[in-house]
Amino acid sequence: MMENFDVIIVGAGIVGLSTAWRAARAGARVLVLDKGPTAYEASSRATGYLSLRGETPEESPLAQAAERLWDGLDEELGYPTEWTQKGRLWAAITPQAFDALQITFQSFQRTGIPFEFIDAKTCRELIPALTPHTLGGIHTPRAGHANPQRTSQAFAWAFQDLGGEIREYTPVLDLLTRGGRISGVRTPWGEIHAGSVVLCAAAHNAALLAPLGIDFPVAPVRLEAFVTAPLPPLFDQAFIAHGLAIRQTRRGNIHVNGGPHEWTAAGVATEMPKPTTPLVRNIARRLFEVFPTLRHAQMLRSWAGIIDVTPDQITIVHAFDAPKGLIAASSAGHGFGMSPSLGLALADLALQGRTDMPVASLSLARFADLPQDWRRIWNWQPGSYNT
Amino acid sequence: MIPPRRITVVGASRLGCKFASRAARAGHAVTLIDEHPQSLARMSYDAPYFYGTALPAALTNENAIAQVVLESNPALAECFEAGVDLRLGAVAWGAFQNGPNARHIGIPKVGLIEGTGNSLVEHDVLALATGMRDFVPAFAGSNLPGVFGVKAGVAFLDLYQCYEGERTLVLGTSARAVDFVRRAVARGIGIVGMVEPGPGFTAGPEAAAEIAALGIPVHRTSTLVSAEGRTAVERASLRPVTGGGDLVLDCDTICIAIGVLPNIELPAAMGCRLRFDAGAGSWLPETDLTGRTSLPDVFWLSDFAAGEAALAPALAAIAEAGPTGRLIPPPETATGQGAYLRFWIQTMRDAGGDAVTLCKCEDISRADFLGLAPPPYLNGGLRHPHSPVTGTGGTAPRIQQDLLKRMTRVGMGHCQGKRCRDEAALLLSLRFGIGMEEIRPGSYRFPVRPVDLAAIAAEDDTHDTREKWSYWLHEPEAMQSRPDGVP
Ligand SMILES: Cc1cc2nc3c(=O)[nH]c(=O)nc-3n(C[C@H](O)[C@H](O)[C@H](O)COP(=O)(O)OP(=O)(O)OC[C@H]3O[C@@H](n4cnc5c(N)ncnc54)[C@H](O)[C@@H]3O)c2cc1C
Repeated sequence: MMENFDVIIVGAGIVGLSTAWRAARAGARVLVLDKGPTAYEASSRATGYLSLRGETPEESPLAQAAERLWDGLDEELGYPTEWTQKGRLWAAITPQAFDALQITFQSFQRTGIPFEFIDAKTCRELIPALTPHTLGGIHTPRAGHANPQRTSQAFAWAFQDLGGEIREYTPVLDLLTRGGRISGVRTPWGEIHAGSVVLCAAAHNAALLAPLGIDFPVAPVRLEAFVTAPLPPLFDQAFIAHGLAIRQTRRGNIHVNGGPHEWTAAGVATEMPKPTTPLVRNIARRLFEVFPTLRHAQMLRSWAGIIDVTPDQITIVHAFDAPKGLIAASSAGHGFGMSPSLGLALADLALQGRTDMPVASLSLARFADLPQDWRRIWNWQPGSYNT
Repeated sequence: MIPPRRITVVGASRLGCKFASRAARAGHAVTLIDEHPQSLARMSYDAPYFYGTALPAALTNENAIAQVVLESNPALAECFEAGVDLRLGAVAWGAFQNGPNARHIGIPKVGLIEGTGNSLVEHDVLALATGMRDFVPAFAGSNLPGVFGVKAGVAFLDLYQCYEGERTLVLGTSARAVDFVRRAVARGIGIVGMVEPGPGFTAGPEAAAEIAALGIPVHRTSTLVSAEGRTAVERASLRPVTGGGDLVLDCDTICIAIGVLPNIELPAAMGCRLRFDAGAGSWLPETDLTGRTSLPDVFWLSDFAAGEAALAPALAAIAEAGPTGRLIPPPETATGQGAYLRFWIQTMRDAGGDAVTLCKCEDISRADFLGLAPPPYLNGGLRHPHSPVTGTGGTAPRIQQDLLKRMTRVGMGHCQGKRCRDEAALLLSLRFGIGMEEIRPGSYRFPVRPVDLAAIAAEDDTHDTREKWSYWLHEPEAMQSRPDGVP
């Protein structure tokens, strides 16, 4: 029997699941396929920040749309995400970092978001556990954080509550086209047809699109993170300092990520190994350089995750003219926070061919002049290590 | 002539010691790492042995204890004489080597924590002989001081020589349970009884006769319901598995000797391929008859694999330094332990119910685990019930234990699932009628023990990791000057 859906979504990460939920809510028959378990890749390995994209103001409107959707997401989905809207702070604890923050601040000011440059004393009033070496920081009362594993699963369950289906361990091997339109996908167990296909397979999108002659510029990179055992409440902002993103979870664990990262390669449907390295020792040291009281906190578990990075580190949302009905996304390393609005935009594009979400400038058009060997020029090739 | 190689052996288990001394005598440079003697703080994590909440006061004299531990293990003295570099009381928290997506490790190394500092110990060959840990199912009162696992019990008796207990109830009738009884009786400790859910005696008729001759009652076709006591174990309630009234026994200690499981955290977290061994009732690293795993130059030496028979072939394989061939697994463990563990969990769940706390770290009941309930700190439920069975089978797993970890936090606490993960998998298997091999076990992560940040922190940062450390992918300056040709 030939299976037929309105929309097939490739990838059960948070971007695919958010898209699936939106599309199912709009009444579409949606199938989500993943080569592995639900949300087993980047989406369950993220720190969990909503970044308002002061670094890349071009996509800040989409992030701000996400921010509005985050409020109330728990009730809409029916499952807890641990969303905590307590602002975000970037602090500098070295003179070099302080100078760098001042440059960053210029970029942040192009967003219209209330970012404020604050002195050391104000930083330490916000987060008293901060090192006395703190020199100052950038603060916004907006933005926040949530639990990536819970949020991904909340989208998955809410989607299933609407009758949607997620098929695990069902890799998409090929995209099928007919008469200039996308017609479905091929899996090891046969073809599945749909009027529209949304690629949310992170860095694997590139390998899926290559046979159609489409260059999808993403580079996968491996990052490391760890958590400590739960501690009493220290702070609830989304916090960044000393090259680390440091968050305290609802449960009380200190969650930390940052530092050197290793560029890798993604095949069509092979799982990328995600080993951790002795780097956690360096992350640990930096962590208590920021929070001296954490010297005797206990490291519980470390892990690595792979994200898909675009050349300008800005999200890609692209609806193809040829084949029609095919849409692809890359969240450029900040797809967790962006997932509510990104999913909405992708679902709109799949069902109506247009969207009110601010994604017009996020298409592939901006890469028309990208050199073929951009990964080599950037030194983002498999095996290179960024320090 | 064999070129000598640097061999790191993790685990001064019987096999680990034998292998280390033989390798040293064969001319290799051998380092043997073992976490025992454990400091009091480490013992309180119940890993690898389940000590429970009562740690004898005698253990506070750590120097005296270290001496006792050395003297009680002649195999260690043998290693010492053979020229093995002994690192005792040292935690091997991780092991690293170059592989796909991690090509900058350099020489393979083990992360080691000794005292309050740490180092990276380089090797050519890694032999993991990490032995076994206690399997300790949950029951009402299992948090009371006086409940411990059989490995911990033997450690109290013989390794640390500080057993506190006069009337011990033993769960299980395996050879290991009988061995514990012998050791306890030799030290004048009273055994109030043994409990066995089946009609027989697992260690066989001879052992049963020996226990009978000692006058120790064996409560057959019975299971444990609960332990009771004000501040420590005072009584235990048993229930016939066929139904009927409870039998209450006075006791001050309960030794859980149902089974022991291999410590696979290091090979699993390193990425060695695993297979489910129904006989052992556990996932094991895939090995060939020499103990070689799927990772180059990583050997796994275990009584759950080829055991002692692997030692000589492993040494020969190391000498050849040949490439990893196709792995021919040793035969399945024929102990029947898998079925035995399952039977125990089934009877204990039938008797004790699902309100029992499954995860001691996070205080989560069996019912909340099986129902994927959000943990208590979230004060809420699920809009609609959801099943953990997400896969349709075939070659793919049907349950991801990681999903349950993430949603319920069972296995996410400070013991990292060492106490509950195996019971949790059995409960899933029983409740949803799914084979153990169809349940993908929760992932193992470094560090394999919780460690102080100050102890694990690098004091040897390179210029790159200290001065050039980047947040995210660019330093802000680089963001300002993106390469030409990019908008
Ligand atoms: C350590 C770390 C920290 C991070 N911190 C943050 C943060 O604080 N804030 C933030 O916004 N973002 C953060 N991120 C990034 C964020 O996790 C990702 O941008 C986001 O999860 C991407 O979601 P996704 O659904 O696109 O990709 P993924 O979660 O990677 O999902 C892609 C899915 O596609 C599937 N797939 C691939 N190929 C195929 C195929 N051929 N057929 C079928 N399925 C396929 C994969 O199995 C996978 O499940 C972080 C990432 C890491 C690793």
